[in-house]
Amino acid sequence: MRTFGLLEKGDISLTKPLDSDVPDVATGFRRPQRSALGRRFRATVTAYGFLGPAMALVLVFFIVPGILLLILSFTELSSANFNDPWSYIGFDNFSRLFTDRFFPKILRNTFFYVFTTLILFNLGLALLLALVTTNMPRRAGFFFRLVWLLPRLTPSVVYILMWRRIGQADPFGIYNQLFPEFLGASGGNLFLGGSPWTFVILTNGFIGASFGMIIFTSALESIPKDLLTAAKVDGASLWRIIRDIKIPLIKWPLLFISTYQTLSLLTSFEYILLLTDGGPGLFTTEVWALTAYKRAFASYAGNSQWAFGATWAIVLVTVALILAVGYVKMFKFNELIEEPRIENL
Amino acid sequence: MRVEIKNLSKAWDGVVGADNINLDISDGDLVAFLGPSGCGKTTTLLMVAGIYKPSGGTISFDGQVVNEVAPKDRGIGMVFQSYALYPHMSVFGNISYPLKLQKVDKAGIKQRVQKVADMMGIGDLLDRKIAQLSGGQQQRVSLGRALVKEPQLLLFDEPLSNLDARLRLTMRGEIKRLQSDLGITSIYVTHDQVEAMTMADKIAVMSKGVLQAYDVPEALYDRPKTLFVAGFVGNPPMNFLDVEVTGSDGEFRARSEAIDLVLPPDRAEKAAAIKGKVAMGLRPEDVDLVSDASPGAAGLTLGGMVEGVEPLGREDLVGVSINGVEMRVLVDKTKGVKVGDNIELAVDTSKIQLFDKETEQSLLWA
Amino acid sequence: MTTTEIAPPLPPVGLLPKAREKMGRRFAYGFLILSILPILVGYAWLIIATVSFRTEGLLPRNAEGGIGGFTLRNWDFVTDAAIWNAMFNSLLIALAMVIGVGIASTAGGYALSRMKFAGRKGFLSMTLVLHAFKAEMLLIAIFFVLRWLGDIPIIGNFIGFNSVGGVALVMIALELPLGIWLMKGFFDNLAWDMERAALIDGASRFRVWWQIMLPQVRPGLAALSLFTFIAGWNAYLVPFTFTIGTKVANMPVFLNQLISDTAPTNWNQVAAVGLFQMIPLLIFFIFTQELLLNIYAGGSKGS
Ligand SMILES: Nc1ncnc2c1ncn2[C@@H]1O[C@H](COP(=O)(O)OP(=O)(O)OP(=O)(O)O)[C@@H](O)[C@H]1O
Ligand SMILES: [Mg+2]
Repeated sequence: MRTFGLLEKGDISLTKPLDSDVPDVATGFRRPQRSALGRRFRATVTAYGFLGPAMALVLVFFIVPGILLLILSFTELSSANFNDPWSYIGFDNFSRLFTDRFFPKILRNTFFYVFTTLILFNLGLALLLALVTTNMPRRAGFFFRLVWLLPRLTPSVVYILMWRRIGQADPFGIYNQLFPEFLGASGGNLFLGGSPWTFVILTNGFIGASFGMIIFTSALESIPKDLLTAAKVDGASLWRIIRDIKIPLIKWPLLFISTYQTLSLLTSFEYILLLTDGGPGLFTTEVWALTAYKRAFASYAGNSQWAFGATWAIVLVTVALILAVGYVKMFKFNELIEEPRIENL
Repeated sequence: MRVEIKNLSKAWDGVVGADNINLDISDGDLVAFLGPSGCGKTTTLLMVAGIYKPSGGTISFDGQVVNEVAPKDRGIGMVFQSYALYPHMSVFGNISYPLKLQKVDKAGIKQRVQKVADMMGIGDLLDRKIAQLSGGQQQRVSLGRALVKEPQLLLFDEPLSNLDARLRLTMRGEIKRLQSDLGITSIYVTHDQVEAMTMADKIAVMSKGVLQAYDVPEALYDRPKTLFVAGFVGNPPMNFLDVEVTGSDGEFRARSEAIDLVLPPDRAEKAAAIKGKVAMGLRPEDVDLVSDASPGAAGLTLGGMVEGVEPLGREDLVGVSINGVEMRVLVDKTKGVKVGDNIELAVDTSKIQLFDKETEQSLLWA
Repeated sequence: MTTTEIAPPLPPVGLLPKAREKMGRRFAYGFLILSILPILVGYAWLIIATVSFRTEGLLPRNAEGGIGGFTLRNWDFVTDAAIWNAMFNSLLIALAMVIGVGIASTAGGYALSRMKFAGRKGFLSMTLVLHAFKAEMLLIAIFFVLRWLGDIPIIGNFIGFNSVGGVALVMIALELPLGIWLMKGFFDNLAWDMERAALIDGASRFRVWWQIMLPQVRPGLAALSLFTFIAGWNAYLVPFTFTIGTKVANMPVFLNQLISDTAPTNWNQVAAVGLFQMIPLLIFFIFTQELLLNIYAGGSKGS
């Protein structure tokens, strides 16, 4: 190597004694070398180090409970025989589940609830809100999205209380007061009498829509303005721009939200529990997840049938898993995954 | 530092990034990787840097294979097209980062950073945020960051392509001077051939992952070994004409429906042995406008009609149709050539190139 | 040679007839206002209710049934020590979640986005598939896991059943699939060259993550933290299921105890407690709107 004129010798103190002793020639440079296998191993260990905390939590609170749930579904554990060893009863719980008189109804309810809410609100309204609010002055759009986020900040009990007040019978109900003779108002209770499903879907939809709205909004805002200008210059109408440019460009978030919200809706029941508790009457708005919860924690005569609840849960989780894998395959999520552009460590 | 690249390949299932590259870089040289977009320049450079893992082959520094050496242990500095500065750090923070990682003491860091910054002409900008710098200043910071740790090998990935033409010219000179003053072996990726020609000691021309040629700039220009190199090196690019070369009694001629030229024997001999057409290359600058089109010069000139004129400043780039065959030639502006003119061009046949159309290899320079 | 054609007259650029444009705008605003009506009405009621004796529709009523009946009685609970304890627990859970989810998601998201290792694709698919396991379904099984964790000597007391730590751990875990996915999205958007430069400069992967990459995803991390905080603050199902009594109750659990313990329930007081619980969030919300609305900028990277 030629003289390295950047700095005079002795000008600076190198901390590595080895380097400063050895004259600054090519052979003086230390290059620790590992075997190819050793380096691969190290890289993998580093990656798993980063994933460690997440993996530990996933193991303890997803994998282990998942397996436990499966085991439980073959026992007859309940809060009554809680201290006894678990007794294996084979497929009894499953046959009990599938022969349940209300099983078909619950199944129908669940699918109706999930897909209606998903399409009307969590996807449809969310997309509409995102499109409309990004097409108006920034501040105005901002304001409407903020209001739409409020339900998310509200404690579930209070949020549902608000909806109950809206739908309650005279003289308490707000809807009945504002529109005494309008659109199905009869002075009676709207969520337990008139149209329970409307209320169940509205309450859930108002929460669900805001999630999609925010994702879609940021996706829409990240579309390069040039593209839209180009389309306008080409003479595309507002509708064509939305259909031909905006929607295709936010395909990925659309797919993610579809997947995420399907699974969320399938397993959520908190708002239904608080609003109608599956009523009015027998299983009118009862969904699968709610049944699982009620069997496990709030069953007859103070006896929580944990094992039976677990059976409902495990079957639902299985359905959700199949759906999730289906979505992953159908939407080809794997193909959207980019290979890291740093390989050698 | 000497760099040897042996049979280096890189493929991502199906996509070939680099295909069996062999290169030796002598100590202190600046080697340019030149080639069209997507030809694998960056891929090769990143393998040298240790960011990409070769699929095959070896990279050695001073005879030591470094395939399994981590990037930080390779003693390299790199300058990126995007500058890749750390936006949350100041100029000082950026330049000092490599030294901090080497645990150099505070005073030493300060001294070295100041020295490098002064050398780059950004000594008074050390407290600035990156966002407050112009593109040219950012590129200097990035160069400073690469230099401060005294690398034994400098890697440049199109460092100037984001700068405006004028600044590019200045920076080109500065980088070259700095590099030869410090004597740091360098690899310089570019798709700008003027940059490659003016800066490099040797140029590696790449195409589709394959190393097409590796030689000193003049050789690539005067003695291109393949059709690709001939076409790629030189601006405006070389003209290619399909001709049949025949020889009798020591007189060689290149003929086609459109042209008929007498060739010097030392150029034409090998081509004459080939039955059928060969590709004849003619640089736009190797012709001269003959003022009066005397037919007596048959075999030495080409006559045609001007179809387009692009003024380039000192010269005009003239598109000529010679009996239906298109050619582009450089003509002195003062000649005032206009579209529609019939012109006669004298060809400097001692500069023509000939290539086998099948193998695309030169018939002059084996 | 092609001759340059005379360009056809450009179609009118974005120039809908004025009237139509105006109508479109009115329609948009009309739609939006209609859509937020239930929310506005709901909150109007909430605020009225907390300072009224009783409400009918949106009207406050006094004991005699006339309009009026303004009272602060519903807010008496602010002097109750229990609610401050509950608020403290809420804060603990929320903060623990912010920290836990923040660390695990940024580390995991970084590895999944930027590192090459065996099993990467599997993990990526898994984070999506894990969304199939919702807290609600696993409660029964997690109950047992928490009891086992509680049996671990010493630390068991802090992470087992009926402990704030246990609740926080469960909540962290359940937020992770989304957190990792979002953070991965943010990391996906960062330039490779910067990371390469840092590696060449001599940084280890951990350092690159901590010193170079994390500062770039700060907006994303802040937004994720905010949403995590909200989720922790308002968490009901998990704390309710895994805690007994008032000592470890958080705000939502406290609120529910209020409903079930007092008969007949004073709904106006419930509303007041609910609003009280929201106040810290609302204040936060006002100061961080910009962040909140940006959260998914990374997670929604266009294909
Ligand atoms: N990480 C990668 N995964 C898959 N293919 C890649 C990857 N990196 C590069 N390629 C492909 O390898 C080929 C060479 O790419 P490379 O970036 O080396 O080109 P380049 O010569 O630097 O071009 P440019 O002048 O445009 O920068 C291209 O076809 C490219 O698409
Ligand atoms: Mg490149």
